[in-house]
Amino acid sequence: MTIQMEFDTSWQEDFLHRIENDGPWGNWELFKLAVDVEKHLVVPEFEGLQAPKYLPNLTPLPHQLETAKQVIENMNGKAILADEVGLGKTIEAGLILKEYMIRGLVKKVLILVPASLVNQWAMELNSKFFIPAITQRKSYVWDQYDVVVSSIDTAKRNPHRDIIYKQDYDLIIIDEAHKLKNNKTKNYEFVQNLKKKFCLLLTATPIQNRIEEIFNLVSLLKPGHLGSEAVFFEKYKRESRSLSDDEHLKELVNKVMIRNRRGDTGIEWTKRHVETIPIKFSIQERDLYDSITDLRNESDWVQASTFSVMTLQREACSSREAVYYTLKNMLQKKENPSIAYKEQIQSLITKVEAIKQNSKAEKALELIQAINDKVIIFTEYRATQLYLQWFLKQHNITSVPFRGGFKRGKKDWMRELFQKRAQVLIATEAGGEGINLQFCNHIINFDLPWNPMRLEQRIGRIHRLGQEKDVMIYNFAIKGTVEEHILKLLYEKIHLFEKVIGELDDILTKLDFGNIDDYLVDIFAGSASEGEMRIKMENLTSMIEFANQIREGDSHAAAGNS
Amino acid sequence: MQQQEIHNFLEQYFQANECSIAENNTGYLTVQLTVELDKELMNRPFYWHYLEKTGGIPNPMKLTFITSKQDTPDSIKGETIYFGSPRLHQIFQSTKNLASFIRLYENHDHKNKQTALFPWLCMNVKISYKCDRKKDIFKSIGLQMINGKMVDDFHDHLLQIPLTPKIPDYSFTLSPLIKPKSGMARIENYLSSTIEVDDHSWADEANKRWEKDLALLNHFYEDEEKKNDSYEVERKALQEQYEPKVIISFINGGMFYLTEDAI
Repeated sequence: MTIQMEFDTSWQEDFLHRIENDGPWGNWELFKLAVDVEKHLVVPEFEGLQAPKYLPNLTPLPHQLETAKQVIENMNGKAILADEVGLGKTIEAGLILKEYMIRGLVKKVLILVPASLVNQWAMELNSKFFIPAITQRKSYVWDQYDVVVSSIDTAKRNPHRDIIYKQDYDLIIIDEAHKLKNNKTKNYEFVQNLKKKFCLLLTATPIQNRIEEIFNLVSLLKPGHLGSEAVFFEKYKRESRSLSDDEHLKELVNKVMIRNRRGDTGIEWTKRHVETIPIKFSIQERDLYDSITDLRNESDWVQASTFSVMTLQREACSSREAVYYTLKNMLQKKENPSIAYKEQIQSLITKVEAIKQNSKAEKALELIQAINDKVIIFTEYRATQLYLQWFLKQHNITSVPFRGGFKRGKKDWMRELFQKRAQVLIATEAGGEGINLQFCNHIINFDLPWNPMRLEQRIGRIHRLGQEKDVMIYNFAIKGTVEEHILKLLYEKIHLFEKVIGELDDILTKLDFGNIDDYLVDIFAGSASEGEMRIKMENLTSMIEFANQIREGDSHAAAGNS
Repeated sequence: MQQQEIHNFLEQYFQANECSIAENNTGYLTVQLTVELDKELMNRPFYWHYLEKTGGIPNPMKLTFITSKQDTPDSIKGETIYFGSPRLHQIFQSTKNLASFIRLYENHDHKNKQTALFPWLCMNVKISYKCDRKKDIFKSIGLQMINGKMVDDFHDHLLQIPLTPKIPDYSFTLSPLIKPKSGMARIENYLSSTIEVDDHSWADEANKRWEKDLALLNHFYEDEEKKNDSYEVERKALQEQYEPKVIISFINGGMFYLTEDAI
């Protein structure tokens, strides 16, 4: 075959000119040095990794090196890095990036990460990989610097968006890529239209609920790899959730995805200790909870929203502030509320006001004082977060809040404050992702998320590489409430907490329903009686157990292991 | 390049540029820049402009480079230099810029004897085989410009020969029969022909990967009536990713006048 050759001829004129004019000529020592430098920069083989020898501050783990090699040699630099939480996907991405830079295949790089991780990424690339990454602060950064780290929310907005589309990126890295599972979102569209020569998508949870998500993710990376949308969904049901049903599909996905599991890495992990702490409501709290539960029998409410009853129940298990906030909202948002409706709400508000203490908060205080070390409290509700902050302050415990909505700088600042000054970090759900807190080893789950994957991400903030102590997890559950049911079902019967990280999503993907949240709402809100609820729960439990058995049957053949 | 090599490289670079080395210890190096090198490296044109206008006394900077943190006392402040640091690559680039072209004579010891020096054209290049992967080959070619003899690894030969920028006494240079321009063309042709006969299965493989991904892409978009922008973007990305190319880039080169049997 004839091969395309490009001769660099830019120097010829200059050279001829100098011969003509007899100089100026360079210095022989420098001339020799320049040749030496080039000989050093030459990469003599297509295969193998050059990067590790240039990284004196980093000792990559064997699975990280293997992943980098796989991606470059067998996946042509387009891959989903789907290691379980805490195995160092950032390190793998850094290795790959470094390798391409050394080989001169990549110069211009765009790294899109959650806002809270922007600084951390830039710092790690600079300190561990000697890659001069810059965090995006001004719009000129895009064209002036080669390696830019930004949040996707900034990048997708103009003027940035237009400038970014004009850049000629060689490599695009997207962290927490599972957020791109829905192809109808602006973020998805933004990434889809980026030119992706080499591309790395990082996620610990490639599938959360349905197979559609993996289709969207893969199609972003490598359109057509799983066929066109129509063909794909003709073959596989949109609602189905398991990759392993289909050997062929699994094989295809494995061509673009690498998933290392804790168990396979041979690394010694610190242990997890899980303690469930049952808590009893005070009389007033119980009264509020029961009144909310009774709402379900009122026809007016059932039609309005079984979901809001559920929400109120869960909030009542968290704090009176959370309930109050929702009630006020319900009153404001309802158009032409009937007098009965108003009275109903008002009577609930009276019950909220009657509550004098928060049983959970008191327990938390006791626990924090006993631990006498750094603690993270997770709650689902912003109102609870604010309350806890106030409550802890009353008892001279320093705390900092953390929310997904914080600006990047504020997140970093809060993390820093927590590390250096405060004893407690109070995070809402959105704070669960995108912040690494391995200097702390106690978590209090003040209330529990219904999707166990979210719980996994909470724990993953501290139970990751770099955690040196055993991790303590305290789950709060109020006796005789929906919370206790959830805890029993999801977290005790199927021993989710004891599972090694990552087994969880395996099991969940094997379950025979789409969205676990919907399913739980149906159980708790849709059941007419306690009996029905119990039966439905039994069903779910056996399904999960069944899925677990299959999983153990084909243990490591499960989705996405290479 | 390991830290010790970097240290040696810096030392040689600054010495070659006539900077005095104030301190040279394991782990760090302090150099007093010359005016020229301050202008080359420190990127402060306003300072130099101001100085030249006002006729002040130039005060070029003194720099400390730390090549090993462990071996450097904490009291020493300086730039940490490692492979990949922007400063080192700036210096690499500067090394190339300052010595792209050279002309040297063999410093022979034919005392008091008229000696003819033969002109050689030297070109050092990097040949890169590039697709979604890449490998490089360093080539140094010398062309004798009278009889057209071509020599590989020319740079290594030169390292064995004493060279000087001034023509030695009793020496005279022979005029080249081959013009520099056609000399360059000869070297280019020679490189092309050696590249052509090389094994290019890597390129075949890359083309196969490219075709495969392109087929997938076409399939993905085949349902759409009119191919949209994202299709074009993806198609172009595939081309940039896989298209096999050989890129020959120039490192440096020069004219060397050598005795008849030097090489």
